[in-house]
Amino acid sequence: MAEIKKNEEQPKIGVFVCHCGTNIAGSVNIQDVMEYAKTLPNVVVSDEYQYMCSTPGQGKIADAIKEHNLTGIVVAACSPRLHEPTFRNATKAGGLNPFRFEMANIREQNSWVHMHQPEEATEKAKDAVRIAVAKASKLEDLFPKSVPVEKTAMVVGGGVGGMQAALDLADAGIKTYLVEKTPTIGGRMSQLDKTFPTLDCSQCILTPKMVDVFRNENIELLTYTEVEEVQGYIGNFDVTLRKKARGVITPAEAEAKGIVGGGCTGCGDCVAVCPVIKPNDFELGMAPRKAIYVYHPQVVPLIYTVDFDSCVKCGLCVEACGTKKAIDLEMEDELITVKVGTVVLALGYEIFPIEKKFEWGYKNFDNVITSLEFERLICASGPTGGKLIRPSDGEKPKKIAFVLCAGSRDNTGVGKPYCSRFCCMYSLKHAHQIIEKMPGAIPYIFYMDIRSFGKMYEEFYYRIQDEGAKFIRGRVANITEDPESKNLYVHAEDTLLGRPVDLEVDMVVLAAAIQPTAETEKTRRLFGVSCSQDGWLLEAHPKLNPCGTTTAGVYLAGACQGPKDIPDTVAQAEGAASAASIPIHKGEVELEPYFAQCIEDKCAGCGLCVPQCPYSALALVEKDGRTVMQVTEAKCKGCGTCGGFCPGGAIWMQHFATPQIVAQIDAFLLGGEQ
Amino acid sequence: MARAKNYLDQKLAEKLRDRKYYTTDSNPEFLKEVEKIGQTPAHMCYQCGTCTGSCPSAPRSSYRIRLFMRKAVLGLEEEALTDPDLWLCTTCYSCTDRCPRDIAPTDVIMAMRNLAFRKDIVPRNFLQTVQLIYKSGHGVPNNDVNRAARVKLGLEAEPETTHKYPEYIPGIQKILDHYKLKDEADRILAKGE
Ligand SMILES: Cc1cc2nc3c(=O)[nH]c(=O)nc-3n(C[C@H](O)[C@H](O)[C@H](O)COP(=O)(O)OP(=O)(O)OC[C@H]3O[C@@H](n4cnc5c(N)ncnc54)[C@H](O)[C@@H]3O)c2cc1C
Ligand code: SF4
Ligand code: SF4
Ligand code: SF4
Ligand code: SF4
Repeated sequence: MAEIKKNEEQPKIGVFVCHCGTNIAGSVNIQDVMEYAKTLPNVVVSDEYQYMCSTPGQGKIADAIKEHNLTGIVVAACSPRLHEPTFRNATKAGGLNPFRFEMANIREQNSWVHMHQPEEATEKAKDAVRIAVAKASKLEDLFPKSVPVEKTAMVVGGGVGGMQAALDLADAGIKTYLVEKTPTIGGRMSQLDKTFPTLDCSQCILTPKMVDVFRNENIELLTYTEVEEVQGYIGNFDVTLRKKARGVITPAEAEAKGIVGGGCTGCGDCVAVCPVIKPNDFELGMAPRKAIYVYHPQVVPLIYTVDFDSCVKCGLCVEACGTKKAIDLEMEDELITVKVGTVVLALGYEIFPIEKKFEWGYKNFDNVITSLEFERLICASGPTGGKLIRPSDGEKPKKIAFVLCAGSRDNTGVGKPYCSRFCCMYSLKHAHQIIEKMPGAIPYIFYMDIRSFGKMYEEFYYRIQDEGAKFIRGRVANITEDPESKNLYVHAEDTLLGRPVDLEVDMVVLAAAIQPTAETEKTRRLFGVSCSQDGWLLEAHPKLNPCGTTTAGVYLAGACQGPKDIPDTVAQAEGAASAASIPIHKGEVELEPYFAQCIEDKCAGCGLCVPQCPYSALALVEKDGRTVMQVTEAKCKGCGTCGGFCPGGAIWMQHFATPQIVAQIDAFLLGGEQ
Repeated sequence: MARAKNYLDQKLAEKLRDRKYYTTDSNPEFLKEVEKIGQTPAHMCYQCGTCTGSCPSAPRSSYRIRLFMRKAVLGLEEEALTDPDLWLCTTCYSCTDRCPRDIAPTDVIMAMRNLAFRKDIVPRNFLQTVQLIYKSGHGVPNNDVNRAARVKLGLEAEPETTHKYPEYIPGIQKILDHYKLKDEADRILAKGE
């Protein structure tokens, strides 16, 4: 588009002031602002309503457009983030181009911050309205571009959240890539023994899902794979993936290479001969593994992995594998690029390094463990075959203290200020497991509050209390150790009794805070997703758009968005999958028409703008014998970097054009005169 | 104010006194003053008890730092300032090190002690300590038993303090005089006699 249509008609603006109940009307004099608006140039009608966003409120806009032949609409109300789309629709309903609408935020930027200064707030609201009217007088018709959407999706992270999202997308008929950085899917849930409040065996409910993922024709499972680079935008993401060298090939890969009957069968013959011993991360270092390994027998896919960081390349495994020829010790990482329409991030969480709270002695005292270690120790398939033992002497503990809020709800800067949301519940579960498995042993739960807020959760609390767990309301101040017996003394105040407690126990379990994983930061940056102060991925709106992000086409599932238990993770994953499938099913998406336009008559073809664009949306092209700049509209985010930069003023920023911004500044400085 | 029932027998009246907490018992200014002097957000206390659990004084006394935090939040000025437990904190700062809300309970206690002092509510032994420091530079001055023990351990009889350098005592006195601490201690002690 070479020429820019200028708006030549005489502007006729309608202004609508919203009370937002008392949110705005409580400090801003609505009548006053409305009357003031009538005095502004180009304003032909001004009105107010208690809730402009309601059906009658929106109706006022549509009616006024028809009645007064309006060319622009101003609504003075809340944040455009919340209601710009609402009022654009109302503008459209009145027969006007939806981009002929401008919003003045007199709530977040005014009444809320100046709650106790009604006069000043009213004056400020008038300023905001005047500025908005000035811009509305210069707005133009804009037409969103539609771009086609690739009919595939990607889920990053193969925990229960990612698996659920992938299954839902696949069942909706969408080809889905499931990318998992470790050699198997399953995530944290596969490390758990039982799950509250139903006490199902975690593996028993998870393994079938893992197998479903593996078998689903629409899912392409990419384990031991990481995201390397992301290009493009909603509908058209080009994602480069690093398939890490696994050192072992699958039967399918063997077949493709012409090795008949080859590929890893998961027989484990190689493990027996491998001379290298390393700690198994899956068992939190409490069990050994070889340099060629699987985490546990139920991994999906069931294929071994060579840990090249510790492999000594002795070749013994290759020999043991024999005719299956599954092991390739010279394998290298492979980069592949896939094109997807939408993406779900399900990156999960990790445990806060609780040794930083040194008063509890983790890593210093043998018998202080974390709850995740407890899960492995009590689990029948864990390193001790399900026997809970003291690390110091292998004895059965008789008295076990559970320290809740270990590093959570902590504002010191060493812990985490938020509630980790599942420790209360899993600690109740742990108390139950002790009572069930170890007759005579007593669990003591040191808690500040028991937050059992979910469906059947309070009932679960009731049950554990009834089973005989001892609850002590008080946060643990510190733990000391008897160096001889390795018994521990837990110091706290029983705040209900108002007396200090000094409890000798055999073992302490710390319900450590959780935090985003170390790689979350890198991955979210690749996808352009924001995070909150604590590093959790940021949803587009905490209430109205909890699965979306501010990056179109990227959605969130599970604990990477904030602490979440399994039911909440799965529910959000289903929401994210549904949201991610909508653009794919529609087949196209509309891009906001806020892209830059080149005014070719003015463009000197100097190309200085091209490297400025952070989104690589600009290029020089030959046109009618001249070199001019051209914008790839689908890539342009309307950031304005180029528009502000062009020495010739040849770049027109749609909806934020220079004349529009100058009009706003004039309106503010000159107080309404033009 | 707690409602008192009027029994002729005063002991009985005290025993049967209404001990409910009434919001009218609260003085909101008290919390503000405590926070101003203590420079710590006492109102953020969520009553976890870490402070009491950390306190070396609590296991051997009725002193509960958490309860003082609560009384600060509720503005129970009278109750907090007249409580003799206020003077049982050793100012070891263990509670401050560990408070998960990043509050300094020790400084809350110190603020309350300041406010109590303004009302002449100070235990006599504290005031006598002031007098001792004024005189000798020591809260617990050296004595012959100690001196003998020190010598036996191969130390000098007097430590490296005003005991060995009495010429610094006037300096200490100047500081105490500046705050009128000695005068106040003398005055309150005399009043009690
Ligand atoms: C001790 C303990 C006990 C618990 N007990 C229960 C219980 O009884 N009931 C219950 O409901 N909840 C329980 N939970 C909570 C439960 O673990 C979580 O709700 C659940 O695991 C969240 O799932 P997720 O998929 O969001 O994250 P995760 O399980 O953490 O999965 C994330 C996956 O993403 C992968 N990943 C991360 N980053 C990348 C990347 N950049 N690229 C590729 N892959 C990546 C990870 O390797 C992992 O496989 C417990 C938690 C703990 C700590
Ligand atoms: S790599 Fe070979 S030996 Fe090892 S498990 Fe696979 S098939 Fe068996
Ligand atoms: S879930 Fe319970 S133990 Fe965990 S941080 Fe929240 S309140 Fe504390
Ligand atoms: S440790 Fe801090 S938050 Fe906890 S009760 Fe004491 S003062 Fe309050
Ligand atoms: S500073 Fe005072 S209140 Fe705090 S732990 Fe030490 S003695 Fe107890």
